[in-house]
Amino acid sequence: MELSWEIILMQVIMGLALGAIYVLLASGLSIIFGLLDVLNFAHGTFYMLGAYATFVAISLCGNFWVGIIAAVIIVSLIGALFEMTLLKRLYGTDQIYPLLMCFGLSIFLPDIIKMIFGLVGKVVDYPSLLQGATFVDNLILPKYRIFLVVLMAVVLLALYLFMKKTSIGMIIRAATRDRLMVNCLGINVSRVWTVGFMLGVGLAALAGAVAAPMVQTIPNMGDEMTIEAFVVVVIGGLGSLGGAALGGLILGQVVSFVSLLAPDWSNVSIFLTMALILVLRPRGLFGEEGRD
Amino acid sequence: MNAKKQINEAAAYKPYSWQTVLEFRAMWVVLALGIVLPFLVSKPLATEIMIYALFALAFNLLLGHTGMISFGHAGYLGVGSYAGAMVVFYGGVGVWVSLLAAMAGGALVAVIVALLAVKRKGAYFAMISLAIAQMLYFLALSPFKRWTEGEDSLKLPPLSVDFPIHLNLSDQMQLYYFVFVIVALAVLAQWRLLNSPFGHALKGIRENEDRIRACGFNITRIKFLSIIYSGLFSGLAGGLLAIYLGAASVTTLFWMTSGVVVMQTVLGGTHTFMGPFIGTMVFLYLRNNISNYTDRWEMWVGAMFMALILLFPEGLWGTVMQKIGERRRPSAS
Amino acid sequence: MLLQTKGVCKYFGGLKAVDQVDFSIEQGKLKSIIGPNGAGKTTFFNLVSGLYKPTHGQVTFQGKDVSHASMNQRSQLGITKTYQITSIFPRLSVFENVRLSAQSRVSMFNSWRKAYSYSALNNRTMEILEHVGLADQQGRTASELSHGEKRYLEIGIALATEPTILLLDEPTAGMSPAETVEATHLIRKLSNELKLTIILIEHDISVVMGISDEVMVLHEGKKLAEDTPEKISANETVQNVYLGKGAEPCSR
Repeated sequence: MELSWEIILMQVIMGLALGAIYVLLASGLSIIFGLLDVLNFAHGTFYMLGAYATFVAISLCGNFWVGIIAAVIIVSLIGALFEMTLLKRLYGTDQIYPLLMCFGLSIFLPDIIKMIFGLVGKVVDYPSLLQGATFVDNLILPKYRIFLVVLMAVVLLALYLFMKKTSIGMIIRAATRDRLMVNCLGINVSRVWTVGFMLGVGLAALAGAVAAPMVQTIPNMGDEMTIEAFVVVVIGGLGSLGGAALGGLILGQVVSFVSLLAPDWSNVSIFLTMALILVLRPRGLFGEEGRD
Repeated sequence: MNAKKQINEAAAYKPYSWQTVLEFRAMWVVLALGIVLPFLVSKPLATEIMIYALFALAFNLLLGHTGMISFGHAGYLGVGSYAGAMVVFYGGVGVWVSLLAAMAGGALVAVIVALLAVKRKGAYFAMISLAIAQMLYFLALSPFKRWTEGEDSLKLPPLSVDFPIHLNLSDQMQLYYFVFVIVALAVLAQWRLLNSPFGHALKGIRENEDRIRACGFNITRIKFLSIIYSGLFSGLAGGLLAIYLGAASVTTLFWMTSGVVVMQTVLGGTHTFMGPFIGTMVFLYLRNNISNYTDRWEMWVGAMFMALILLFPEGLWGTVMQKIGERRRPSAS
Repeated sequence: MLLQTKGVCKYFGGLKAVDQVDFSIEQGKLKSIIGPNGAGKTTFFNLVSGLYKPTHGQVTFQGKDVSHASMNQRSQLGITKTYQITSIFPRLSVFENVRLSAQSRVSMFNSWRKAYSYSALNNRTMEILEHVGLADQQGRTASELSHGEKRYLEIGIALATEPTILLLDEPTAGMSPAETVEATHLIRKLSNELKLTIILIEHDISVVMGISDEVMVLHEGKKLAEDTPEKISANETVQNVYLGKGAEPCSR
């Protein structure tokens, strides 16, 4: 195959769009881990719920944008419910129990979705505004992919401002550093945990919602994404937003180019990238010494 | 009872705790049950129970006894399975060599995981081990399809053993007892392992990693070896699985395999020796029966697993041991 | 000199937790390090134990530079510490707590021989349990012990590694006054009977006066004084620090 620079650029854009999904997903995972010390094994499950909620909301109201917003809100609330009723009881026990609780949820929920929606995939259409592509010279720029990249940038900026400027953001950052200290400040930490979990789950749902038009919406679409989100945070360093962003973008490019050049290896390349980075930088790109 | 107590007090020390004694007896009871198991449940189910019980015990070497959360045990089982099947398929060797190859395959994956992740704790180890196993799954699925047959599974010819006695492994009953004897020996070997100086060091790591390091133990090397042992026994289970299924299949490498062994182990009790074995028996028995009534097995197992974590985090056998401990405590002092 | 530090420093970012401390201890002595909270005692202690590596300066043990040796390497050389916050193996028996620690000198990787078949280890374990007064508790699960008993078990675990030098970090922390007296006697007894070299950290000055051969006082990361207990008690600078006038100990 001739690798013209147009093809390369196209592939970069595809990679950026895929990377944007990874970034949204992994930053949510990272926030939850940093704050709660919980490895959310159900992260991909919430991603899947986000896609299904979008499908349902769009079928009810007919508008893509309302659908996405509704999906994020609904799934965040489901996440909050899960955190408050089940997960919260396990804080302070061995780290494995909250992890296993999330794992149980990731077995339970997809089957419920299977029961309600069946095994056949649901189709979510691109919003009419973002269908097709624009052309710059003879470059094809798919609108929806561009939108994803912009969305990721906006969300990252908003997250950054939220963490830096708002009081709850600052509490979350402080609690990520030292949860004991925040306990001592007399803040209702329990609510901070819930908000943090909701935020993380909301990001996963957003990733699922915006991915829905590009992928097949099936009950098990999240399983693979959980593992890929893990790879992103291992690459970036768990608990670091910058790490999640960089890791997600790197992985997007790797997958995009390997799918073009050696399609058989595209799934494997994700994990090889992780292994390579672990050999070069055992703590990940942004990992801190001492944080395991 | 009184006489016995006096003997204990007279002795300079009585190192074996009641838990160890109880587990030792439980091990023999369960193995004795294994002799009659194919008459209680179907022969394929009995065989499957034995293989997955060995796998769960091997898994618990890391989770319960060393305190490392591995979510990548599908890698050890699956590569063991393929290694065992491939040497038969391409090399035409016998069953015993196949099982040795399976153990080597499991150990090889263990070395890779250990090299990349032995120094990482908790969640990190879980993620890295899961990712490596998933990589192996995808490798077997497509780039290595030429050798693994991908989704079609690598099918084996009918097998038999000539040494020490002749066994036709296509016969379900003979296959069961072949598997049972190997699993029983592996269980005894693991018991021995856990009661060796090395096994005690593992418990020390699980109980208090900082302290055991301050005592002068080399944690990294001990964990490394522990991962390899786990890989060896898991690989052996994988080799047996290939013989039982008559094929090495990619679904063995799929992440769900790791998930299932986690559930079986936690169901039985991670902080015990026999818990994983008992958990596997209950899990597979239930799966076989529930799936007769509903095709919503995942929903039920997911819900029951979450309830288990909330209500009985020590698992079935672990909770029994805990209750016995509570009843003993007042009289012990 | 058995153990010596020359100008050791440990900085955490801008904080000089330990600053230019020279310290030495002879074989068989019991030396205490005291100072108010935040004086850098525990940090200094961890520079000796190997948990931290010095930012500057040198730690020598038996004439060898061990500044960069890790904690488990130093433990194997004979430097063993106990923890300020009780650190034992909660689910193991009292006997096993000590035996496991003693095992570190004998076998780490033997995966076949029975752990309890090393009779020398078992005997040594019982000896140590006798020394720390826990022999009749040997069969109990460690988590069931009282606080004071756990502190003794902590010392027992450390003794089991056959240390040349034993580092005790506030061994009487959390004990009642009566228990404290008993514990200090035990420490002196261990030093005498086992010919052990002991470095003891305390924030309570009265605990160490009766039993130490020498005392070093730390304040804000720096060495303030180092002398016999009698002279330390009489030292005005030290008194100032302990009576709370010590914000600027040198401004008399």
